[in-house]
Amino acid sequence: MSTVGSERTVEDTEAVQQEILNFLESRTRTTWEPDTDLFKDGGQSSLFAMELVVHLEKSFDVSIRGADLRLDNFRTVTVMTALVTRLRQAAGSQDG
Amino acid sequence: MADDLARALARIESAVGDRAEGWDLAGLIPQPLLRELGAEGLLCAQLPQRFGGLGMSSLQNGELTAGTGALCSSLRSVQTSQGMAGWTIARFGLPDQERAWLPGLTSGQLAAVAFSEPGAGSDLSAMSTTVRADGDRLVLDGRKKWITAARYADLLVVFGRYEDGAAAVVVPTDTPGVRIRPIADPLGCRAAGHCDIELDGVRVPAGNLLGGAALPLPLLVTTALSYGRMSVAWGCVGILRACLRAAAGHAARREQFGRPIGEHQLVAGHLADLLVAERTATRICEHASRCWDSGSAEQVVATVLAKQVSAEQAARAAATAVQVLASAGASDGTVVARAYRDAKLMEIIEGSSELCRLLLAEHVLASYGREER
Repeated sequence: MSTVGSERTVEDTEAVQQEILNFLESRTRTTWEPDTDLFKDGGQSSLFAMELVVHLEKSFDVSIRGADLRLDNFRTVTVMTALVTRLRQAAGSQDG
Repeated sequence: MADDLARALARIESAVGDRAEGWDLAGLIPQPLLRELGAEGLLCAQLPQRFGGLGMSSLQNGELTAGTGALCSSLRSVQTSQGMAGWTIARFGLPDQERAWLPGLTSGQLAAVAFSEPGAGSDLSAMSTTVRADGDRLVLDGRKKWITAARYADLLVVFGRYEDGAAAVVVPTDTPGVRIRPIADPLGCRAAGHCDIELDGVRVPAGNLLGGAALPLPLLVTTALSYGRMSVAWGCVGILRACLRAAAGHAARREQFGRPIGEHQLVAGHLADLLVAERTATRICEHASRCWDSGSAEQVVATVLAKQVSAEQAARAAATAVQVLASAGASDGTVVARAYRDAKLMEIIEGSSELCRLLLAEHVLASYGREER
């Protein structure tokens, strides 16, 4: 399957968080707080979780697999930021 | 890569030849031929080359799928199932699992994906098939309904409930407890190998659990179906192209009232409608495939949109084509009669038109309903 590597380099956790907030804002046309539960109020579509997975993989050049695909990892911007940071660190240590 | 696509299309054309009507009437495609095509990577052409696939982009695979669908929707359905199995394993499988199964799918092994059940069609949250751990084994119990290509399959990717979520499990069809029963006389895609499946105490190694963990059912289903929807949408483009060609040829040759019927304005209107339908579906599929190829998150919604539009266009256009050919297209053994039956199924499988519209409506509300003024 075609996976295009990210051309963007997001340097730190704060930038990761801001990128995710920007995506959510453009996707939902409203602003979000980092700790708002995206799924709790039922406002998102059934397709939304997959959109988040695809967006995170593309934007941060990470691969989200196995147990990392549990919904709790996508519930808030803060936990998505932590997931991306962990996966990037793990990928970096493997490369190194 | 353009040469690869041209070669792949030529090979499919050669494999089908003039046999599509016979396969349709017999309800069967010769399994050795399917294995040959699979071993050439033509049934899951989007798989990376490191697994023996052709490494096609979504757009290229889409054109291959449309080319197949224009000739034989049953073969295209087998292609969709094999591709969806490959995509599900590649998407959810761990590296060892990819290496264990994906090369087989490009070496002649055939696969099908088992979602729907007697009580779980559009509402897959009602799925009742269970997967439970028992030592180093998984045990599966349940019933699956209308599983495309299962008649030919060596492997099934079975979806079921597992722990507090769901799971996709690879199950060889020769495992004790697996019973596969072909569905007699389906309306369309008659040679696609649709089957009902019984799973009774089916035991497979724990390592067959894709991803090695329970996953959220909506994410699992949406992701796996996404490939199937894209493939069906492109298959509908193929049906549209076949209908357009058949109707145009007949309208140019058949004369009534002293001139070709295509020169009568009401029939000419049908031809214009067929072109609009084919171009509309092609463009919307191209857009969705480009979203896949660029890794855009828009691919998720664009795929549902492509499936919805293409399936409805194909069903409507196939009826139009039969109308243009009239008695020349109103019996088994004709391209448009087969297209008419096949296209109707496209509005039902991989998410009915009604379900796709619900998903699109949810998307509208989520995208625009909160808009700050």
